[in-house]
Amino acid sequence: MKKVIQYLPWIVLVLAILSVGQKLASPDTVDSQFNLEAFRQLPVSASGRTKPLDTVARNSLMSISGRQSMRTDEKNYTAIEWYIELITNPKQAIQRNVFRIDHPDVLAMLKLDAEKRVRFSFEEVLTASEEINNQAIRASQIKAKARDPFQRAILVLNDRMMLFSRLTQLEMPYLVPPISSGEDWRPFVETLSLNPQDPDARALLSILQSYRDNDATAFNEQIAQFTQLIDNELGYIAKKSRYEVVFNYVQPFYTALVLYIMAFLFGCFGLLSSQLSKKELSKALLSSMTMLIIVAFVIQTVGIASRVYLQGRPPITNLYSSAIFVGWFGAILGLIMDRQMKIGLGGIMASVIGFGTLIIAHNLGGSNDTMGMMQAVLDSNFWLATHVVVVTIGYSACFFAGFLGIAYVLLGVFTKTLDHERGKSLTKMIYGVICFATLTSFVGTVLGGIWADQSWGRFWGWDAKENGAALIVLMNLLILHARWGGMVKDRGVVVLAISCNIITAWSWFGTNMLGVGLHSYGFTESAVFWISIFVMSQLVLMGIGLLPMSIWRSKFQRVKSTPKT
Amino acid sequence: MSLVNNSVKKFLKPIASLKLTVVIFALSIFLVFAGTLAQVNSGIWTVVDQYFRSLIVTIELQIFVPRDLARVPGAIWFPGGLTLGVIMLVNLIAAHTVRFKLKWKRSGMIITHLGVILLLAGEFVTGFAAEEGNMTIREGQTVNFVEDIRASELSIVDASDLKNDLVTVIPERFLHAGETIKNSLFPFTVDVVEWLPNSQILGPMQTPPERKGLADTGAASELAAIPIPRANGVDGANVDAPSAYITIHDGETKIGTYLVSVYLDQPQAVTINERTYWLNLRFKRTYKPYSLHLIDFKHDLFTGTQMARNYSSQVQLVDTNRNVDREVLIYMNHPLRHAGETFYQASFLQGDAGTVLQVVKNPGWIIPYVSCSVVTLGMLIHFGIRLVPTLKRSVR
Repeated sequence: MKKVIQYLPWIVLVLAILSVGQKLASPDTVDSQFNLEAFRQLPVSASGRTKPLDTVARNSLMSISGRQSMRTDEKNYTAIEWYIELITNPKQAIQRNVFRIDHPDVLAMLKLDAEKRVRFSFEEVLTASEEINNQAIRASQIKAKARDPFQRAILVLNDRMMLFSRLTQLEMPYLVPPISSGEDWRPFVETLSLNPQDPDARALLSILQSYRDNDATAFNEQIAQFTQLIDNELGYIAKKSRYEVVFNYVQPFYTALVLYIMAFLFGCFGLLSSQLSKKELSKALLSSMTMLIIVAFVIQTVGIASRVYLQGRPPITNLYSSAIFVGWFGAILGLIMDRQMKIGLGGIMASVIGFGTLIIAHNLGGSNDTMGMMQAVLDSNFWLATHVVVVTIGYSACFFAGFLGIAYVLLGVFTKTLDHERGKSLTKMIYGVICFATLTSFVGTVLGGIWADQSWGRFWGWDAKENGAALIVLMNLLILHARWGGMVKDRGVVVLAISCNIITAWSWFGTNMLGVGLHSYGFTESAVFWISIFVMSQLVLMGIGLLPMSIWRSKFQRVKSTPKT
Repeated sequence: MSLVNNSVKKFLKPIASLKLTVVIFALSIFLVFAGTLAQVNSGIWTVVDQYFRSLIVTIELQIFVPRDLARVPGAIWFPGGLTLGVIMLVNLIAAHTVRFKLKWKRSGMIITHLGVILLLAGEFVTGFAAEEGNMTIREGQTVNFVEDIRASELSIVDASDLKNDLVTVIPERFLHAGETIKNSLFPFTVDVVEWLPNSQILGPMQTPPERKGLADTGAASELAAIPIPRANGVDGANVDAPSAYITIHDGETKIGTYLVSVYLDQPQAVTINERTYWLNLRFKRTYKPYSLHLIDFKHDLFTGTQMARNYSSQVQLVDTNRNVDREVLIYMNHPLRHAGETFYQASFLQGDAGTVLQVVKNPGWIIPYVSCSVVTLGMLIHFGIRLVPTLKRSVR
């Protein structure tokens, strides 16, 4: 039995690697005599970015139906199958149940029955198109914040219908590549009507016609030729496009998310068994946790690097990627901490922050293209690479300190895990992370100021996001000075560190919700709710941390120093 | 080694206390937080003046609760940014005077705090000395003045001399309802009937009846101005656009009531004794010894979208005093620096007809760069020599 337990971490490692390998090896390709693999790799231009048709199909289907595939009674359609049917056989496509509608009033308005299903066809939705349009106009006339759930639902439905019809009419994406003429991508129908002999558009036309006529041989031949042409003329774009297809089906961040959750479970069981004095088992479980975190971290790193390659930009370009980065850096801090202090707490922190931020990223990403283009003023790789990265590392460090604080309070109040030594080294760790956070958030904020001075001549403008960054710096300084002045001891630092979570969350998301200032991108309504929940939970934890020491289960007794293992 | 004798130390001790430092941090956190929330309802410049560059601020409790959730009356007094900044500075200097010891171990901290002192000083310089303005140039137009879009003025131009115009301006602070303005530079009196700090101009068909016919003379007499709430947010487009109704008297004779507004491009004529004076309410102008001529403004979009990829202004810069005559391209993150001023691409006119450049003169612009490098260096040294060994020693 003992032997098996010893090998547990390695077994976990092999299994984790195998599961990742399996993802790579199963590119959810289509079982069809048509070469849809080549079709989905075709680069096109949408929302100002060149990307494979696969991305367009996935994002569109996701935003219309909330899933990346379409299920019917006969079979499961991948996004690209749905898309090619949409543009070659719209009569069939408008009968597919892809429109997800949840709001009961919207369903009632459409006279649809949600008893059996939540997805409806374009044809069904279209019967009430006039009413939808009227309601959408009404809803769009009032401010976004003031809309009620029905109005929001109507606008969402209206947007989805617009998207569906724009896709059907081939208005977007711009399909015709800049090969034979011009320097830019062109819309398909317009190009053909301006010049029916345009060779690139004609090549595409014949591909689509062959699919419509169910002529696989011709389709495959034509698409091979067209791909060859694109490879010759737009080699780099074609290569990136192919890579993005792989990125789409491997879903590195989702894979990492699952691994972090598993790591967390291993870590909890590891801590639990150390409580039950099962040393061997605890050690094996904690090492397994570390293995899983390493695998997750590697995948996440590859994912971030892929985004950098695909976008040609530094790793953080929007809230979505900042969330991923916060988790990624948290994993680094956790792994470093576990090397220093071997009770497995660093790994648990890493996995909590890892999966937490990836869930946040998943929700922020939704059905949007997470690699969208940037507003003109943000279009500066140098500052994105310096200011944004350093500030985000600062966020990450603050959260790490805050979550260590939470661990201290929870372990201290509810378990007997913390003795004098552990308590001391944990607070020392928190203190160290806060020092690091002070440095990075200060430098990051200053770099932001320099960027602002460069781009609109104002080093400091008291803009909401700038103030948020300043708050983090001030909070860290407060903790450091309070500790230096002896105003707070270990427990005080811990409780104040938890308050860092509130300030960091506010600075990261809260300032965006005000809807003022130059940085107010990416406002999300449900985020307000979640932030409030988060702030409340942190206040509760701070309250628990302030409970009298007599009811803490950990007594922080000095133990006789044991020889180093 | 000590800088001061013991009695001075005794006096300085309470001022130098770390407790005071922590209290100042806590108060600053609250002030910055409140000053951020306040921006939801007031303009950023109002907030900066009220909260961050003031001695004392009245914080309305309403800012902590969304207006549509509940109405909250009342307000509290709170030390403003200037007060907190000065106390922080005094506290810091006192602390170093009392506790100053030239030890290698303390070097990082001393350097950091020197940087902080410089940083605070830099913000004072910016607060008192920086000037910001706008230059709005249509394509093909040449402009030699900067407008301050946070202030306006009523200009009266006597163009009867063929060579030189005689320009008189009445600053915004005189333009209050009920005010009568007389000056030897113009042969009439100006009575301010109504002053609208932020306004909207309506055509004859849109005007509600009670706002009709307030102006009876001038090119804008068909139009009407209605008051709207003051602008908020930092967005450059969100500026207050004032208008006013003014009555002109020639001695006892009423010439007429005019509507003047920053929205109206063309000045309106007042003729007295066969001399014509041109009235115009405009943003406050400062004339410059140089001029910018807009050759071309470009607004590039991402393919197939309405999203801006880049804004750029191609201008001809002419400054005869400095013997400058050259073409410059100003675009995002690439400002023009000339004569101690910096010109940034800020905005553009409707239909891409022209550009809006932000013009900034900040004699202290270099201070933050220096001070921040000093602070960063100090922190690196401090944490490097203090923290790293501690962590190594005791963490197991």
